[in-house]
Order: sequence, then structure tokens, then C-alpha cells
Amino acid sequence: MISLDNLTVRFGGVTALDAISAHFTQSISGIIGPNGAGKTTTMNAISGFLDYDGAIAWNDEKIDALNPFKRTRWGLRRSFQKEQIADDLTVLDNLLAITDNLPLSRDEKRAEVEQAIESLAITRLVNRKADSLNAYEKRLTDLGRCIIGKPKIVMLDEPCGGLQQEETDHLGELILKIPTLTQATTLIIDHDVDLISRVCAETLVLDFGKRIAFGETAKVLADPKVKAAYLGVEEVEA
Amino acid sequence: MQITQIMQMTKSAKIGLLFALLAFTFLPVLAGGQWIKIFISTGCFILAASGVAFMYARLGMVSLGQVALMGIGGWVMLRMNHAFDLPFEINLAVAGAVTLVFGWLLAMPALKMRGLYLALITLMAAGGLEVIFSTYRFPNGGEGFWGVMPSVAAPFRRPLVATDDADYLRYIIFAIVVGFLIIELHMRAAPGRAWAMIRRSEAAAYASGVNVVYYKAWAFGLAGFLAGTSGGLLAGGLGLLDPATFRASESIMLFALMVVGGSRGWLGVVIAGVLYRVVPALFNDWTIDADIALVIFGAALLHAIITAPNGLSGQLIDLFGKVGKRT
Ligand SMILES: Nc1ncnc2c1ncn2[C@@H]1O[C@H](COP(=O)(O)OP(=O)(O)OP(=O)(O)O)[C@@H](O)[C@H]1O
Ligand SMILES: [Mg+2]
Repeated sequence: MISLDNLTVRFGGVTALDAISAHFTQSISGIIGPNGAGKTTTMNAISGFLDYDGAIAWNDEKIDALNPFKRTRWGLRRSFQKEQIADDLTVLDNLLAITDNLPLSRDEKRAEVEQAIESLAITRLVNRKADSLNAYEKRLTDLGRCIIGKPKIVMLDEPCGGLQQEETDHLGELILKIPTLTQATTLIIDHDVDLISRVCAETLVLDFGKRIAFGETAKVLADPKVKAAYLGVEEVEA
Repeated sequence: MQITQIMQMTKSAKIGLLFALLAFTFLPVLAGGQWIKIFISTGCFILAASGVAFMYARLGMVSLGQVALMGIGGWVMLRMNHAFDLPFEINLAVAGAVTLVFGWLLAMPALKMRGLYLALITLMAAGGLEVIFSTYRFPNGGEGFWGVMPSVAAPFRRPLVATDDADYLRYIIFAIVVGFLIIELHMRAAPGRAWAMIRRSEAAAYASGVNVVYYKAWAFGLAGFLAGTSGGLLAGGLGLLDPATFRASESIMLFALMVVGGSRGWLGVVIAGVLYRVVPALFNDWTIDADIALVIFGAALLHAIITAPNGLSGQLIDLFGKVGKRT
């Protein structure tokens, strides 16, 4: 379970996140909202990339005191809206770049890397330089980095951004496997509502930094406030 | 699965070793008189350039203080040589270690900075060192801590295996190979991967669990170590050092020529060293004004920035690649 309690982030005078509270109890949950709603900012706060007020915990383990790289070592994994794998490294090295920094023995590290490669069936990519990968293969590598080393929290920021429908479907299948491969609680941001309804049991909806809905995905998507936010005609019904 | 590729040799490494072997065998025989001294100092600058090159290519960090750091290594080397009766290698190790620490000191203000600001900090440090070197000069066997005496210099002890110039040039070529191997081993292990993530973005590094400050400081330390040993080797080559060698402008020049040569492999660094030392000497030989070299370097830098992101070495490799395919 991931708990956000009164999560608040300000950029200068702008309140990008306004006292967001949500307790994600399901193994995979979604965060949706229009552009600029504060979705990525939420993940950046959970990653410790920016200063925030409020509290973040996983299964009652508070992580607020950890700096960003210690959060990764603790068990936080994430991918970025624009993939952030190292172009001049091979796929294997991109995976090792994480296990290098984990408190595991050599054998455990190797086992983690092998398991990630096997679970995603990316053996053929292992020795390819990342700059020779297509968008989908990069996303796969990103996902591999997220499931490695017994993660506790996995966060995917628009994992299917820029992918073909088929690729999105396949990646969705793989994301659904995360709970069987790891103990992690997973959060996904995406604009693809079909993907979110297929993969996420619970969903948080943000708009202008405020929580406008949270709960079972189907119910949330049916909420008039959510529909209004997406159509940009809120206040009309209010 | 091939996690143990750490010892695997790439094609570029094989060609590099072959090149080094040829240079090791023939260069000292073929080069005579003053040229052997020029190649010795070229070798020292190649080793130093490898430090800036890996910082630039692998971390995206611009360091404009490498030649100034060489000066520190050279100073320590001379100081040790004239104060104690220790073997050359121990003095060289001390020179490398002290400069490594200076690399760290330089890193401290720089760690929070990026891009242009980082470059400016290193340049300011180089400027400060320039003032110190020209004020206190280099030890030449005099009294006291600074060890400078006005006229002649006390003798410098070279390594036992390399007392004459020809053998000393071989010694330097060997040192360059060792230096390149140290960098290559880093690249293939955890530090290289951490650096690659840092270069991608700090967010990517944090998301990989990389302690960014620690690995940046490590890079500065390694570059400092390479600068220090190359400065120590230069001291051994010449027997005494001149403050003018380590001016801040020289650090900028070495960096610029590294960009011209290409930062991503051994060939670019070798080209940088040759442009830095051999070309001006050739011009001197042909009684062409040395300033012409500056103009040519400027044009080459523009060429590299505009059309050749991988430098001359990248273009050469592409060219050979094309020729290889045609035949
Ligand atoms: N580092 C920053 N400095 C200042 N403002 C920022 C910063 N990062 C984000 N913002 C602002 O905070 C708000 C929320 O941005 P965020 O990136 O979280 O949106 P998002 O929901 O992820 O949108 P998108 O769907 O476009 O990715 C935006 O108005 C954005 O301009
Ligand atoms: Mg976003």
C-alpha cells in the first residue's frame, strides 16, 4: 500500500499539488488527469526529487527522510515520461546500473538481472546499445529496470506514450505481471484511459493540483466531475 | 549470460594496443635528437588529455583545469625528487595521489554545478594555480619548502629502467597504455555505468540509485590522478618545469584540441596530444609562425563543433569503415 497524506508541492507561488491524500491499496493503481494536472509532480515527490509537505509511506514505512538515490536503494523504481535510459550503454548495462547500487551480493544481483530479462523476454536485446533500440524496446528496458532488485514501489510515467496500439497492449500485459514478479505496489500515469481501466484497479484523478476523485477505476471514470475535467468544462455542473 | 565481459577486447582496443606496440618499438629508434623529447612531452599530454576526454565524453562535464593539475603533479614530483632519495615510481605515485586529492578539492564547489558554471569553476582554479606557479616556480633542488634556487638545477633521477630518452619514451608509452586501461576498466564496471546515467540526467542517476556526488567526485579524482601522473612524467622527461607550461590558457587549449580529436576513444586523445605538441614543433621546424597553428586549431575546432561531433577520430574511423566496406 502506498499512502500519500496531504502531499503539497509549491513551485514559487504556484501550488502544483494541493494537499493530496490517497491510499493506494491495490497492487496496481492509476493516476490520471489533464495536462499539467500534477501527475508527474506527484511521482517526483514520491521519488524525493523535490521538496514537499506531507507524508509518503509504503506499508506504513515512511520514506520522507530518504534522499532520492536512497529511495531507489530502499526499493523505489520509476520510469520517466521521456525514457531516461543511457544511450551509450547496452540494455544489460542499463539493468546493471541499478543492481550496482543495491545492497545485494554478486550472485543475487546476477539472479535479479537474469530474472528481469527472462520475465520480459528481452534476451535478444541484452547486448544491444540503447541508442539502437526503437521506442518500444526502450520502454521494455525501462520496465526491466523497474522490476529489478525486489522493488517496493514501482512508478511508470506514461509507459505507453508514443507506442502503437499493439505495443501498448503487450506492454499492458507485462505491467499486469508486475504483482506476480514482485511485491511492489505499482502506480501508473497514462492518458490512455483504456489502458488505465484495463490495468489499474484504483485510480486517482488530479486536476490543477487537486484531487478530484479517487477510488475504483470504473466508478472514478464514470464520475461527472472527472468527465468534466477531461472535457475542460468543469464549474458548469458545480 | 555474459556479465563477465569485463576482459573482452574490442576491435578498437586491439588496434590501439597494436599501435602502442609499434610506437613502443619504433618511435624511440626513428625519432632523433630534439624530436624524442617532443614525443616524450606529447605522450604526457596524451595521458592528461585522456582524463578530460573521459569526463567530457562519459559524464558530459567540461573541465578546463587539466594542464594546471598537471602542474601540481609536476611540482610534487620535483619536490619529492629533490627532497628524498625515493625511487621514481614512488614519487610518481605520490604525485598522482596528491593531484587526485586536488581533483577532489576542485570537485567540491563544482559538484553542485553543471555545464558552463562547472567549466568556469575549473577555469578559475586553473587561473589561481597559474598565479601560484609563476610566483613560487618549480622546485629545482634549492633550499626550503619551495625548493627553488636561482641558477642551475640539481639532477633529476629517472626510473632505473629508463634513464636515457629512448627508454623513457617507451616508459611513457607504457604509462599511457596503463592509463587508458584504467579508464576502460572503469567504463566497464559500476563507475562507468553510474557515469553514463549521470550523463543521461541526474534524475536517471537517482532512479538508478546512483550517489551522484560520490561518482562525480570519483571522476574528478580519476582525472586528477591522470593529470598528476602525466605532470610527474613530464617532470621526469624534462628534469625541470617552467610555469609557462601550465598556464590556464594551456588547459583550455588541451580541452579544445581534445574536442577536435574526439573524446570517445584512444585515437581522439592521441590526435589531441599530437596537435598540442607535435604540430607546433613541426611549424617551428619549418620556420612557420607558431601563431598560424592557433589559427588552424581554431578552424579545426569550428569544423569539429559544426560537422564532426565525434571529432577527427570519429571521421577517420568512419572513413576507414567506408573504405573497408568497398574493398
Ligand atoms: N520544476 C518545475 N518548476 C516549476 N513548475 C513546474 C515544475 N514542474 C512542473 N511544474 C508545473 O506544475 C504543474 C504540474 O506539472 P506536471 O508535470 O506534474 O503535470 P502532468 O500532470 O504530469 O502533465 P502532463 O500530462 O502534461 O505530463 C504544471 O503547471 C507545470 O508547469
Ligand atoms: Mg507528466
